[in-house]
Amino acid sequence: MLRLWQKLSGRIPPQGRWQHMADPYDGDEIVVLDCETSVFDKRKGELLSVAAVRVKGKEIMLSSAIDITVKSDAVTDPNAVRVHYLRREDREQGVAVSEAIEKLLDFIGNRPICGFYIEYDRAILNRYIKRLYNFQLPNKFIEVSEIYVRRKRRLVPELHLDLTFEGLAKDLNVPVIERHSAMGDVISTALMYIKLTEF
Amino acid sequence: MTIQINLNQPPFSFLSTEQLDWLTSRLDLVFFPSGAVILDEGNVAPGIYIVYKGVVEETDSDGTVFSQYGKEDVFDVRAVLESACKHRYTAMEETLCYLLKAQDFIQLLEDSSDFSIYFKTDLGTQEQLVEQRETGVSEFILSRIDEDTIRTPVYVTGQTSLARVAVIMKEQKHDAILVRTAKKVGIVTGTDLLNATLLGDMEKQDKVADIANYDLIDVNYGDFLFSALLKMTQHGIERVVVRRDGDIIGMLELMDMLSLFSTHSHVIAMRIEQAKSMKELVTAAKRLETLINSLSSQGVKVVAIMELITTLNRRLMQRAFDLIFPERLRNSVCILVLGSEGRGEQILKTDQDNAIILENEHDREAVLPLLQRLHQAFLDFGYPPCPGGVMFISDSWIETREGWQGRVSRWLSSAEPEPMMNMAILMDAEPVCGNAELFAPVKASWQKESLRSSITSSWFARPALQFETPLTFLGKIREDHGTIDIKKGGIFPLVHGVRALAFEYGINESNTLHRLDVLQERRVLDEETAQGLKDALLLFLRIRLRQQLLSNSINPGMSQQLKLDSLRSVDRSMLRHALHRVKKFKQFLIHHYHLENF
Repeated sequence: MLRLWQKLSGRIPPQGRWQHMADPYDGDEIVVLDCETSVFDKRKGELLSVAAVRVKGKEIMLSSAIDITVKSDAVTDPNAVRVHYLRREDREQGVAVSEAIEKLLDFIGNRPICGFYIEYDRAILNRYIKRLYNFQLPNKFIEVSEIYVRRKRRLVPELHLDLTFEGLAKDLNVPVIERHSAMGDVISTALMYIKLTEF
Repeated sequence: MTIQINLNQPPFSFLSTEQLDWLTSRLDLVFFPSGAVILDEGNVAPGIYIVYKGVVEETDSDGTVFSQYGKEDVFDVRAVLESACKHRYTAMEETLCYLLKAQDFIQLLEDSSDFSIYFKTDLGTQEQLVEQRETGVSEFILSRIDEDTIRTPVYVTGQTSLARVAVIMKEQKHDAILVRTAKKVGIVTGTDLLNATLLGDMEKQDKVADIANYDLIDVNYGDFLFSALLKMTQHGIERVVVRRDGDIIGMLELMDMLSLFSTHSHVIAMRIEQAKSMKELVTAAKRLETLINSLSSQGVKVVAIMELITTLNRRLMQRAFDLIFPERLRNSVCILVLGSEGRGEQILKTDQDNAIILENEHDREAVLPLLQRLHQAFLDFGYPPCPGGVMFISDSWIETREGWQGRVSRWLSSAEPEPMMNMAILMDAEPVCGNAELFAPVKASWQKESLRSSITSSWFARPALQFETPLTFLGKIREDHGTIDIKKGGIFPLVHGVRALAFEYGINESNTLHRLDVLQERRVLDEETAQGLKDALLLFLRIRLRQQLLSNSINPGMSQQLKLDSLRSVDRSMLRHALHRVKKFKQFLIHHYHLENF
């Protein structure tokens, strides 16, 4: 059975402590998350910070959000520092990456995970989770830009769309808050999601 | 997580840094589509909303718009403090609000008394808190008469000899002593003793009861120190008796107060009193504006500034009058100040509005050149001439008693706008120089029962509706290139509407706040309306004064344009509420005077 699941999904299911993450989710919340990495590369990028917030209906539950900086001495692309504003000095105050992942998994549970270009965050997180706990995220993933494209193309199939983060934010008229801080991007993404699903 | 709104303004600025950090960590963010009902009548509010982006409108069940909320505005506190929401809150466009959950909000109310007072009180108290907060100076002028400011009185009996009184004064280091006789209590000062013995023919062994002054000027324990200062200025004395529940409990000395006073209001008052030439008066007058500036920047309440300036202005005029008019004429004329000066609502000098009552027509010749000189003195003091010519140098504003009575009755029967406006101007008159008794019969000519006909009073009331309240139909402030005319939009309709009611009900007061008190006493207006209008007027005056003081014009007092973008969010929101009150009051006037078709 286990093998079958693995074969069908192509993923290693969680065991023991994290087993519940594979349970079907019957609540009404999703988790929006965003990771900032040392370099923009699925295989080499090291996790520098991760932010996540639960969204329920039209409400972004900021008061319970998590925003974790990872203690890392990864060499960053000097250009990337400008992108995520996490200097080495900032990162020295952070927590160990294992602690960050553990907190994040507890926070997410079996809720669906949503983000902008979430495939990247999924790859980064799975790399660490596989190493630490030997499984891969079984959660349902929601790509905000995909909902956006579906909504737009339903009306005008041939439409040319600007699928950058800024392009979506502009077209959907949601504020871009502290672009490239993990938490700021999470809030903007959550706003896009609410607007695409609730309005 | 940083918050995208400025919490460094009231009411949040009442919180400590730790409390603010905590509040910030407790906020959620909610996104509403345009048209969404955020809270509805009868709903239990999940917490208070702080607008980050967008516009929210508050309406009642009839669809009447109560208010609009924009960035950094807070709603609906009442719904959290009471059991349910009384109005409907709708997002007028896509709106983002921070939400502070009810339990967290209540926690903050419990932790901070200023924060809690702000929310649990009306506009007036909020205004006070904001005013106090602005300067952070606990101004002496606003402190109250208490144990620390008064001296325990020293009593002697009426039988005590003058010599003995002098010894007691020296021993006790008191310059004034209370004298108790069988029937009453009087006061005697060191100067009284000197005058009686050195200038008069009293002997050392005479009884103090014979020279004591029994006309005690008093203040109540707990009053503002400020009101004691006003009384001293008015009566030209240096101490007042302090009473609690009618009993004398102490003395308040000018010298004690002066040592605490940080402003120079009394110094100016003394200069006015002691001036022996017009030149000295002009010098004193020039310092009034500096005084206003310093009082305002120290956060003294606008109502207190108004009272002080009114008192000082009137003394200034009286002194000029005394210097110009020979004694024989002083009692046969009465000079009236009109308009805002008459109502005691002038702070920075506007134009001079005044008139004169002559006792005898045959004095006219002698009085005219004196009036020219008085007019010139007022110009020198800094009162610009009245563009409408409402001044005692114009023939139309000089009359005998009978002449004024005749004019009033012609005005009232004319039913024309101009005579009605003249009536309105004269109605605010206060006698300031000469024989005040000449004014009473003139005043009586418009306080007749027979004049209370609805036609005359409704003609009188009409101008209150002349200018539109600068609110859009959505309830937002309607600006014209970023400004509103606060006189046309707020002050005039309020003041004139109250004046119309005062006219109709024959109310003697001329100050708008006092008129509102009487209207409330006589149940013409309910308490909430009267208080609301008072708060609104004081707010208009305060905001206008602040901007006038910042302007560099020669006659800042004449400027009525309020720049909205230089108001803080909390002032803007209070201004909007105040304008709503004016609008509501105008609706009351329309109904009361049947002006529907005007």
